[in-house]
Amino acid sequence: MEQTPAPQDPEGREPLPPPSSSGPSAPAGAPRTRPPILRTVGRIVPFIPALVPAAIVAAIVYSLLHAAGFSIALHNWRTWQISLPTNFGWEFFGSNWNPPYSWGIAVFVVGSFLTAVPALLFSMLIGLGIAIASVAYLPRLVTRFLDPFVDLLAGIPSVIYGIWGYLVIAPYFGTVLNPYLYEHLRFVPGLGGTMPPSSGLGLPVGIFLLTLMALPITTLLIRDSLRSVPRDLWESGLALGATRWEAMRRISIPHAKGGIVSAGFLGFGRAFGETVAIAMVLNLVAVYPTNFYGGTATIAAEMFSILDSAYGNSQFLAALSEMALILVVISLAVNVVGRLFISRLSATEIAGL
Amino acid sequence: MVPTPSADAPLGTPIAAPVPALAAQDVLFDRSARTTWRLGFDRWAGWLLPLLFLVAILPILDLVWYISKTAIPTLTWEILTSFNYRTVDALGVPIVSTVEVLALSTAFAVLLGVFGGIATAEFLSDRSAGWVRVSANMLAGTPSVVLGYFGFFTFCIYAGWGYVMMAGVLTLAFFMTPYIFRIADLAYTSIPRPIREAAYGSGTRPHQYIVKVATPIAFPQVLNGIFLAMAIGLGETAPIVLTTTGSKILPPNLFAPVTYMTALIWADFSSPSGSGGYDVALQCAFLLVVAVVGLNILVRVISARYRKRLEGLYQ
Repeated sequence: MEQTPAPQDPEGREPLPPPSSSGPSAPAGAPRTRPPILRTVGRIVPFIPALVPAAIVAAIVYSLLHAAGFSIALHNWRTWQISLPTNFGWEFFGSNWNPPYSWGIAVFVVGSFLTAVPALLFSMLIGLGIAIASVAYLPRLVTRFLDPFVDLLAGIPSVIYGIWGYLVIAPYFGTVLNPYLYEHLRFVPGLGGTMPPSSGLGLPVGIFLLTLMALPITTLLIRDSLRSVPRDLWESGLALGATRWEAMRRISIPHAKGGIVSAGFLGFGRAFGETVAIAMVLNLVAVYPTNFYGGTATIAAEMFSILDSAYGNSQFLAALSEMALILVVISLAVNVVGRLFISRLSATEIAGL
Repeated sequence: MVPTPSADAPLGTPIAAPVPALAAQDVLFDRSARTTWRLGFDRWAGWLLPLLFLVAILPILDLVWYISKTAIPTLTWEILTSFNYRTVDALGVPIVSTVEVLALSTAFAVLLGVFGGIATAEFLSDRSAGWVRVSANMLAGTPSVVLGYFGFFTFCIYAGWGYVMMAGVLTLAFFMTPYIFRIADLAYTSIPRPIREAAYGSGTRPHQYIVKVATPIAFPQVLNGIFLAMAIGLGETAPIVLTTTGSKILPPNLFAPVTYMTALIWADFSSPSGSGGYDVALQCAFLLVVAVVGLNILVRVISARYRKRLEGLYQ
């Protein structure tokens, strides 16, 4: 794997030779102090704690598969027959969600993408701008004061974003921004149609909150990868007469491409899996939004808010755990792919991302 | 090759059209339209790009200001300290329950994460350590609602505990583990090589190296990771809401209902407490913001001091 930080000391990592009693100084026929089985156990035991995260991931997937009645599984491994949700058949991927009768989750998948993709787009653009300003334009004294604000954005709990979005941002959107857009930009497809609700709950607030929540991860990753461009390259660009913008555009950004791509993936993973804030501001309804102002539901938010009504109904729980599996697969894939591009994440790991 | 004036030309006739004199700054600085545009673009970028910081700063200031403005006037000392469950708004029980849950899950997560990180950094080959890091990143990237479902199915249903404190504690611990794990791994991996080689070269066994050499150096950063995981766990809602149910009293044992503060915010949001509106939610939110920001500042301070100390090790 490329992402292992290459430590060049294999000799330091291997277990040292066994204690002196079995060392070369001991006579050939002397009894060993520890039987070989104990030595084997002693070699294996230190590795066990390292398997904890993998074990937890496996336990998560197993429990969800169990709750889904193992209906999403490789049915016959000889012929590679994959049985997709047999509890509900292919209707599971349809768009008719009416819990006790029909189970179609396409609405939620579409809702997840409708909120996460624009949020990712905005947060990538803003994050790129902030990172460039912080790396190339602002003096160190100023960035040392400004950067912690971005990190702080990552620390605010999502439930607090949710309640702030519900009480402050949604009324603003509902009374000021959405009516303005509706009145003046009605000709733009998606901005016309039915009247925006005066509560403001719906896609715009969701996208706004997700942008804010994905912003720290994109900004930090892009900033780190731009900072890790060798200083020589940057300075030789300037010495050849490039402006700072040109040196950024032609030297630093191409050099830091991997970090920027991974910022996109990880930011998307964050926005896609976000739960509580979205459940608070999205006015959860299982319909496709007819226009920009409409309410919809995402996989995570719907799962979060509907569990109470599913309690005791095993078919309902199976449907929810299948949704959870879809969410797991997408977010794990996004995470793993995103981290392939980064060699080391020290600064962002310290920020908890 | 120098043209000489012909004899019949009157004296003083110019030889050729005079070449306009170049000012010094025009030789040194290119004044073509293209360069003017390049330099102007760069200057405007220098003014406009930093304004994007406002996108990050204004919302966070507004959030903190709004929550403080609405919560502080209603937050009295009595509300904070009263355990009387008959007064609806008393926050004593949620605060103490939150501290209990968080302390217990931090203990579990430290147990799992720190040992795992040490094992990954010290005992594993590069290749297997890479795979272990992938699995830790996968766990850290798992959405919290999925972890909540895992806890719900495993502890509340299969184990038959119901919505109790222990289920929430374990789920939250599993949520916090990868953060501690990754930072412990990072801390032990980034110990300077000379120190490591000196220790092994002078004959320490691996466990002696870990206990006596590596841990004193790595400890501040591990502590850092623990505080960070606490800040993340403190604000987490889904793993708790899906695995526990609220209670008006302190949990008498581990298998009793418990009220976590984020869960209380969610409950108050779902069904506002009568005339008070969202008072309880906003008060809890204020306390959470204070705690989380405090923990984050603590992490930052420790991390800065640790970096200084690690740099000092090379001298």
